[in-house]
Parts: sequence; C-alpha cells; structure tokens
Amino acid sequence: MSKHFVVMTINGEEKGFYVDSTDRLIDVLRERFGLKSVKEGCGTGDCGLCAVLLDGRLVNSCLVLAPQCGGKAVVTLEGLLQDPIMANLQAKFLKHNAAQCGFCTPAMLLAAKQILDRLPTPTREEVASAISGVLCRCTGYYPIIEAILDASREAEAAP
Amino acid sequence: MPEFDMYVPRDLRDALKFLEEEGKRTTILAGGTDLVPRLKRRQVVPQVLLDISGLQGDLRYIRREGDVLRLGCLTTISDVLESELLGGGLGMFKQAAQRFGAPQVRNVATIGGNVASATSSEDFIPVLLSLRAKVKLLNARGERSLPLEELIVGKRALARAPHELLSEVNFQVPHGNFWSGFEKLGRRNSLAIALVNMALFLALEDDLETVKDVGIALNRVSGKVPQRALEAEGKLKGQSLSPSSISLAQSALASELNLKGDYRASGWYRTEVALVQLRRLLESCYVKARGG
Repeated sequence: MSKHFVVMTINGEEKGFYVDSTDRLIDVLRERFGLKSVKEGCGTGDCGLCAVLLDGRLVNSCLVLAPQCGGKAVVTLEGLLQDPIMANLQAKFLKHNAAQCGFCTPAMLLAAKQILDRLPTPTREEVASAISGVLCRCTGYYPIIEAILDASREAEAAP
Repeated sequence: MPEFDMYVPRDLRDALKFLEEEGKRTTILAGGTDLVPRLKRRQVVPQVLLDISGLQGDLRYIRREGDVLRLGCLTTISDVLESELLGGGLGMFKQAAQRFGAPQVRNVATIGGNVASATSSEDFIPVLLSLRAKVKLLNARGERSLPLEELIVGKRALARAPHELLSEVNFQVPHGNFWSGFEKLGRRNSLAIALVNMALFLALEDDLETVKDVGIALNRVSGKVPQRALEAEGKLKGQSLSPSSISLAQSALASELNLKGDYRASGWYRTEVALVQLRRLLESCYVKARGG
C-alpha cells in the first residue's frame, strides 16, 4: 500500500490530504469529510447511489480511487444547498413524493441537477435516461420523473 | 480491497518509463469501471496500479487526419456520444455509446479500457472490429501498430508486452456511400451486459444496391473473444442486397460461428438473436441508403 498526497476541491474548498492507494473517493468523502449524502449501495458501480459530480460530470465515487483525484473538483449534495436549481428540485421532490426511503435521493437529485444544467427543458425520455444509472427500489421512478419535469417547467416559465 | 501500490505518473514519458521498469508487476488503471469492481472481488490482485487517468492531454482525443480517425485511449464513452466526427455513416458509435452502462459509467469508462478489457461482452470491440481498426502500442523507446484482431488473443488476454501502453485505436474512414449500425440485446435498457451484440458497416456502390464492402463483427463467440463473421461478409460482398442475399449471409453466419451458452443465455438462443440482428442491421442500412 502506498501513500499519496492529493490536493482537490471538495464542495468549493481546496483540501490537501494523504490517502492510501486503496482508498476510494467514496471512502474519503464519507469517512474523512463526513459527507454522508454519498451512499454506498453495491460498491461495484451498478446502483449509482454514490454518484457525485467530479469536474462537473456525474460519476460513481465507489469506482474512483482516491489517488486519481489530484487536481479535481468534487461536488456532493452538501455543496449544492445554496443552489437555486437544487432548491427547486428538492421542493418538487417533496411535492411529488419522490423520496420514500430516501436512500437514493441524494444521487437522484445530483442526476437531476446534471440533466437540468445541460438541458433546461428535457423530455420525459431524456429525464429517464439521465437517472437510468441510479436505482430506486421504492418509487417505481414515476414520481421522480414527474418531480424533475415539474422543476424544469418552472425553469422554463421563469424570465 | 486487496493491498496494492499505486503509481501516478507525472506525464506520458514517466508512465512509459515506469512500465519499462515495473511493467511485469503492473496493472494499468484508466476509467476504473471494469477494474475497480474486479479489484474489490479480488479477481485481479495487482502489485502495482499505474494510473494513467490523469494523462488526458496526451491520450484523450478524437481526431481525423486525412482518412484516418484516431481515438485516444482515454476517450470516454460520453466523448463518443458528443463527438461530431462519429455521426453519419459512423453512427454505430453513437448507438453503442447510448446503450453503454449508464451516464455515470459513460462519463469515466474509456475506449482504451473497453478494448483492453477484452471480454466477450464489450460493446466497442465489435464496432471497431467491423471497421478493421488498428491499435497503437507505445513503449519508452518507440511504438508499434497492429490490427485489433491480433491484439485480442483470448478472454482478458492481449498481445501487449508488459512494457507497452495501448494508447490509441484508429481506423480508415471508408470512402463513398457507407452506413453502419449496432445492435445489442440485454436484459434491460440501462447498465445491461450484452447477451449478444453486433456491429455492421456497409459500403454500397453508386447504384446503392451492390455491396462494395461490408464488416460484420459480433460478441459472445464460443471460445473466442469478439470476432468478425468473415464467411457472412464474403456472401454479401459484390452481391446485390436482397432478401435472398441476406438469407445466405445468415446461413453463413450460423455455420461459421458457434455462440457460447452460459447462465445468461443459451448458445442456441444467442445464435437465433444474432441472425435477426444481422438482418435488421442490413435492412436498416439499406433503408438509410435510400434516405430513410
């Protein structure tokens, strides 16, 4: 096992710290920085619950090894609490009962934010595709898709 | 996670120098979407990982030089989806990318990693084989090029020396009228591992009837890795595309390749599916050729 000094931006703050060669990004985020919105479901890249934005792209943090992250910027749900698009999405998730057990919700919100950043008024198919890498075992996805579409309509109506 | 060391190179030269010295005990890490779960399951227990994922300036590109299209090994599947160079007649790249994993996987998984994983379920190996792609292998003192078919010698086995780095896949962009398509059957739309997949590239003469050139490659071939269907290609070349020539190609495909059976699907089922995929791909190219 080797040690690596990594400098990266976590939710807007630059941090420098040592990691082991075997640490995954999810371990660093949860254990070292207490960012518990990042959930570990399968740990093999199938469930998508550990999704974070790495340099602006949605990735599964269980598949990224920590020494790979030098110079990168990571954003978790905790870093978007002041973000207006996220606030709107959260309100719409509540309105449509899009969170039941809540375990997939942080990853769903990030996937939703990613699609709305790219396509402010996505179609239903585009929304379904955008969240296709995040598993939800409670809702059957319909309330989640409705919530995201509702949030996008609001963006469209805004001046 | 098993115990392993990691080396994060400063630049490409440094990475090649490291492979020169430590290649024999090194496993190369790019996007990690295949390797990291395998590490976790201890299907690979490396001594050292060489992390090339930071070498994006040198190894992440899609560019056309004359008639050759070059994809750097760190090109992500999302890059393929967003590239303007891979549309039109090369549309099978986008079709394959669309059905690849899920957005989070496409954002990190790389073309080089897909090829180097060399299993019978990789989606881009048939796509690249159908175009008779070549790969570039770099080492500290030079480089060599070889056909993709010769690189993949078996399941998870490459004709790559320990000191070499697979840096690029490239292929000749066909001339004239050509189309392509990709078919994948999985158990679901997202995150599906292919039960059968097939890529087809088809060039027609100016009459838009006669097959000038054709490349057919598919996966899940028994005892092999993805493979070209040379007999089926031969049945089509120079012929006019019609229900009878398509049916001859299907028979050739059925007799030349033995698709493997496993817990996901039987060999018989896979063969039936492959025959349908071949017909659909040929028909869809034929329709596209007529502006459909």
